[in-house]
Formats: sequence, C-alpha cells, structure tokens
Amino acid sequence: MPLLEIARVRKHFGGVTAVNDVSLALEPGRIYGLIGPNGSGKTTLFNCITGLERPDAGTIVFDGQRIDGRKPNRIARRGIGRTFQVIRVFPELTALENLVVVTRGARAEAEARAVELLRLVKLERLAGEFAGNLSYGQQKLVEFVRVLMPDPSLILLDEPAAGVNRTLLNDLLQAVARLRDRGKTVLLVEHDMKVVMGLCETVFVLDHGDKIAEGPPGAIQSDERVIEAYFGR
Amino acid sequence: MTRVGAAVAVLLVVLAALAAYPLVGTGYGVRAMLQLFMWIALAASWNLISGLTGYVSFGHVAFFGAGAYATGILVSTAGWPWPPAALAGGVAGAALAFLIGVPCLRLKGPYFAIAMLGLNEVLRALISYFEGLTGGGNGLSLPTLQATTPVYYAMGLTALLVVALTHAVITSRFGLRLMTIREDEVAAEAMGIDTFRHKLYAFLLSAVGPGIVGGLAARDQGYIEPMSVFPLATTITMIVMVLFGGKGTVWGPVLGAVVLFVFQEAVWARFIYLHQLLFGAIIVAVVLLMPRGVLGLLQMRYRLPRTI
Amino acid sequence: MAVALTPAMLGQVVVSGLLAGALYAMVALGLALIFGVMRVINIAHGPMLMLGAYTTWLLFDRFGMNPYLTLPVSAAAMFVLGALLQRTLVFRVVDAPELSSLLLTFGVSIALVNVAQLLFTSDLRSVEFLTGSIALGPIAISKSRAIACAFAAAITGLAFLFLQHTKLGKAIRATSQSREVALVCGIDVQRIHLIAFGLASALAACGGTLVAVMVAIQPEMGQIWTFKSFLVIVLGGAGNYPGALLGGLLLGLVEQLASLFLTTQLSEAVAYVLLVLALLVRPSGLLGGRQT
Repeated sequence: MPLLEIARVRKHFGGVTAVNDVSLALEPGRIYGLIGPNGSGKTTLFNCITGLERPDAGTIVFDGQRIDGRKPNRIARRGIGRTFQVIRVFPELTALENLVVVTRGARAEAEARAVELLRLVKLERLAGEFAGNLSYGQQKLVEFVRVLMPDPSLILLDEPAAGVNRTLLNDLLQAVARLRDRGKTVLLVEHDMKVVMGLCETVFVLDHGDKIAEGPPGAIQSDERVIEAYFGR
Repeated sequence: MTRVGAAVAVLLVVLAALAAYPLVGTGYGVRAMLQLFMWIALAASWNLISGLTGYVSFGHVAFFGAGAYATGILVSTAGWPWPPAALAGGVAGAALAFLIGVPCLRLKGPYFAIAMLGLNEVLRALISYFEGLTGGGNGLSLPTLQATTPVYYAMGLTALLVVALTHAVITSRFGLRLMTIREDEVAAEAMGIDTFRHKLYAFLLSAVGPGIVGGLAARDQGYIEPMSVFPLATTITMIVMVLFGGKGTVWGPVLGAVVLFVFQEAVWARFIYLHQLLFGAIIVAVVLLMPRGVLGLLQMRYRLPRTI
Repeated sequence: MAVALTPAMLGQVVVSGLLAGALYAMVALGLALIFGVMRVINIAHGPMLMLGAYTTWLLFDRFGMNPYLTLPVSAAAMFVLGALLQRTLVFRVVDAPELSSLLLTFGVSIALVNVAQLLFTSDLRSVEFLTGSIALGPIAISKSRAIACAFAAAITGLAFLFLQHTKLGKAIRATSQSREVALVCGIDVQRIHLIAFGLASALAACGGTLVAVMVAIQPEMGQIWTFKSFLVIVLGGAGNYPGALLGGLLLGLVEQLASLFLTTQLSEAVAYVLLVLALLVRPSGLLGGRQT
C-alpha cells in the first residue's frame, strides 16, 4: 500500500490553474523527486499535501486516511514534515528551541534528541544561538533537522540544495539517504538536476500544473515532453 | 552565591519591603503603589497575548472594565464580599475573551486587532443600555468601605502572580509555541502546532489579570461608570509600557510600568494635555528604532537568558 | 420589542441604509487601497477622516465657506498629510511583521487625536449648514445625508474610473496584485505606495467633510470609522476594490434595519456583531485567503 496517494488533485488561483488533475503515489522507504519549470505547481502541490492550501478537487490519502482539506497542524501530527523554499526557521528562538518547540512529551528527552540532531549537522556548538543570527546555510540545516524532530514518516523537502555549499550539500544528501535507509519516505522539489538524478529513485515532472512524466531519472532525462517543457517548443 | 541566587534574594528583599510598606507609608504613597501594581498587572497581561504571539490587542481595557462591572454588580446587588467578587471579575474577563477569541483568533492577520479596537465602543454602549443592572451611564456605586490596605495587598499579589505566570509561560514549551506564532505562524502550523488553540489559551490567560485588577480598582474607587472603566487611554498605557520595557520578556512590562508610571506622576502630570501625543510618539519611536524595547535590546546584546 | 414593519418603514430603511452605505463604501475604499497596495491596515484612517471634518469646520467657521466647497481643500490637505506619513514613517514598516505596522499606525492615530484636541479642544463642533429633510411620500430623506450620498457616489465612481482607466490607476492595481510583477513591469513601487496612501487619506477626508455637515465633530470621532471601514472590507471580501462598495451598502442597510428594533446605543453594537458573524461564516474573507 502506498504511503501517500494523490488522486486527481486540482487547485486554482483565480483564473490560473496551479495544479491540474495530478495523481501520484509514494511507496514507503523511497526517495522521490518532483521537478518542473518555475510556476509549474510544485510548491502548490506541497501546500495541498501539507494542508496550507485546500485542493479544489481530488483526494489525498496518507497512511490509509484522507488528509485533503485537513488543518496543517493535524496533517503534521499524522507524520508529514516539510521544509520551505524560503527558509522559515523561528528567528528569535535559539537553534535548540527551534527543535524542541515542535515536540511533545518529556522535555529532557526532547532536548537530548535535539542536541543529537544538531550534532548530526555539526551545529551543536550553536545550539544556544538565536536562529536568526545563523548563516543562511546553517538556518537551512536547522530547518532540515527540525523536520526530523517529531520523527515523521513522510518528509517533503522544498529545494534543499538551493544556496547550500558543496560540502554542506553532500552532508545533507547523505542524511537524506540515511533517512531512506531507516524506512522514511522523502519527496523533494529540486532544481539541481545532479541532486535529483543522483538521489531519487522515481521522478515526477510537472508543467503548468499537469503531471507530464513519471519514471526513473534516466528515462525522465530523455523524455521528449520533459525536454520540451524545460527548453520550450 | 550564584547569579540566580542573588537575583532571587534581591527579589525577596523588594517583596518584603513592599509588603511592609503600608505600615510606614503615607496614604498617598500606598495609593500610588497600588496604582503601580495595577499597571504592572495590566502591562504583564497584555504582554502574554500581544508580546508573545504578536496578536495586538487594542482593546485590553475591555477585560478591566468587564471585571470592574462584574465585581461592582456582585458587591452592590448580590452582597458578595469584595475578594471573591474580584476573582469573579477575573472569570468575567476570561469569559469575554473566550467570546471574542473564538471567532477572531481563528484567522491570521489583523482581524483580531481591529475586533479588539471596536470592542470598547460596543461595551460602553451595552453597559449604558443595561442600565437597570449596571447603573448605566449614571454609574454604579459600591457600598462604602475603607479597604485601601487590603486592596493594596490584593493588587500586589495579582501583579506578582501575573509576572510569575509570565515567567512560567516563557520558560515552557507552551510559551515557545506562542512565540512561533509571532515568528512565523504558517511554519508553526506546518510543524504540527495548533496555533488557534495556543492563541486562545494565551488570550484567556491575558484576560484574567485585567479582570481581577478591574474588580479591585472598582472596590478601591467605590464608584464606576462606563467612561471611567473603558477608556482607550488605559489600553494605550499598557501598550506603551510593554513596548518600552520589552515585549515578549518577563521583566520588560514591569520595567516599562515602573518607568512610565514614575514619569507620569513626576513629570507628565504637568503636561496632561500632551499625554497622548507623547505616548503616540513613544509607540512610533519604539517600533521604528527599538522594536525589542529596553530589555529585549539588552537581551540580544548581552545574550541574557529568556528569564530576564 | 414587537414592531410592525410597514412598507413605508422598510422603504425608509432601504433609503437611509443606501445613503449611509455610500459614505461607508467611499471611506472603506481608502482603507482597502492602502491594504491592497502595501498590506498595511492603517489604524489612523479614521483619524484622517476626523481631521478632514475639522478642516471643513475651520473653513466654514472662520471664512464662512460653503462646506461642500471645502471638499477639495480637505481632500488635498489630507492627501499631503497621508503622503507625508507614508514617506516619513509608514514606508519603514511595509515589509515588517504585521505587528509593527499595526502598532505604528496606532501610535500615529492617537497622536493625531491628541493634536486635534490641542488645536480644536474636545468641545463638540458642528457645521450647521443644511438642516431638515425632503419628504418623498412617506419617506423622509435628510438633505445633508442625501447630498453626502451623492458626493460619495460620485467620488467613489471617479476613483473607480481612475483605477480602471488611467495609467497610474492600472499601476496601483498591478501593485496590489503582486509587488514582484509590478517591479518587473518597471513600476516605481515606492511612488505607488505614496500615491495610494495620499489618495486613501483624501477619500477619508472627503468622508470627513461630508460627515461634518451631518453630525457633531470631536477629536475621537475617527476610531469607529477605522473599525467600520475594516468591517466593510471584510464584508466585501476577497480584497477586491468593488467588494468595498457592496460591503458599504450592506453595512448601511443592516445598521438602519437594526435601528428599527434597537435603541441607538444597541445599534452601535450591530456593526460589531456583524463583524463577528462575518468572521464565523466566511472565515476566508479578505485577508485569510491571501497567500503567505
């Protein structure tokens, strides 16, 4: 059974169709890529999955239950975590607090886990620093590990590679691969084709809100419609 | 002695001095301190909703007024003694906050701020409408009672409790979640935080203190009427105190209340006609030049802990 | 409070409601303009109306000017004041968190009220110019309200023509749609902000002039207009400028209808109940639907 199943989801903004009858399914324990030119509806689809937008039509089933139109915090609690294209850490909370704040249960446990995650991305020494004072790359990492805090089963990453230097990027990609090895499902929006091709097992391509292709990276790269979408007709 | 220990010691000494003050102080002095306690409680309460979540309440005096009327009615018509009546004032404040919060806090953006702005006018109109029960525009008199000293202690205790509550909230994960609403509400929701519920809880907490304080003030003055318990000026003063001292901090509202109250008594009393202009200018200046207020600034610069 | 509703009474309600509604719509359009273009709710919008009313009173009282002829003066004065406000203060908080712009314009608003108190005292002022009413069958129409409605309708109409058909108006609408797009199209967004704030304040001032002939003027008369203008935008919904028209008329009608059954004091609360209902029934009103 797929972990996430999106069926004929549609979203309009005024006269513009941002997502048009998109269907896709994610199996557990795999890494998926979502690509497409700017404005093709990738972020809108993310927003529909995470409840920030209510789809106009279609269904989204996660872990056997419908989640479309539910409140974002409910969906998050079910086990979907996401990052944002533009960094959205809480700037006046410390790096540690950014992580601790999204947890429930015993606080000491949460703090221990948060420190461990910060160590994973080599930020443990900056745990007490306000997130707003960290560099762009560091904030990106804080946001990344914040997603992992509640231990979600599906992780949506919106352009994780953008604006991150090479060394950092490699760490990040390794971390994503490890997540998959631990049974997590990852869906990432990415412009950097090397990242997508190197990491993803299956790639979905959106263009003007339509899903125009789906398949392993190699096949996608030579798909005529994809090339047309990217390089014009 | 550790720094925390020293701070606690200083705090205890100050509290002891304040507790002993009515034994030695003049009538004027006791009354002035009582007023200061009132402002501390009000400013710290406003900080709980607006300083922490960033949802600006432009009508917080409504809870003060609701508390004053609830207490006034209970004392004068139901014959309650004033201490439980003042507590009931706190309940009245929270009940009113619930009525407004449920529709207005569901949404993001300035709905809440404007709803609170309009609230004063409405309450004033309603109170003068329900004349039979509330005495209407003519006001409501409470039975005469010399209770300045007990009210002093009650007011001081309320202020202390609101500040202690602020401390507890700010050091808890609940408080951190409130701050995420201020920082980035959408991200907070996407991280699984039920922002509506958190805003509502913060709002209810922020309404209890003003309700009690309103009740105590009603007892102290012995007479209430709509214009005297719902003045926009009270809300403005709370806002100025918190902004000046540092919104979202534990001691900022206290600092702001003390500084502004002293200035008000010592200096501005002579420029009463310029009062609002000064307050308006302070708000504008703080927002533009020192958005974190005095304590927030120190906190950032010297990396002080949140509990300052 | 059983009141038999006769057709004449209903007619009176509709007429009075529409008269008041036109005024609401005009003033609210100003608030909507500022919100649309820079995502700022200007708490000082009502106090701008109050200053417009005082401008009219001053010219009428000192120079015996016909109050309706003071309209361009008060509009121009508030245009300048509004633009100045935007240039010196508001522009600094356009991109800041909402809290900043709300607090800043709130600070400005209480300062303006105090300035009015200093200049004009808190005494009630009135412009006694046009009193009495015209009888239209069983329906009585206050002369000053009828003229106010006509002016408001004309000014609102002109504002819409301006927004629809002039280059500047189109630039304003483009900026409300998306600042990024406006920038890409080579629109000077700073200038648009300035003009929008000026125009919005001028609309408020026109409201002030027209209101001055109808009711007593005092420094604190403005706050309620900020509130009602906001309500009108919420009722109109969707952040579109025509929505403000509909919302204004709706508010006028509901208030008049309520005044049939309620005392004056209680009908003050009607606007409030309306806001709460609007928020409960269509929570994705004007601002909730916006992308964050």
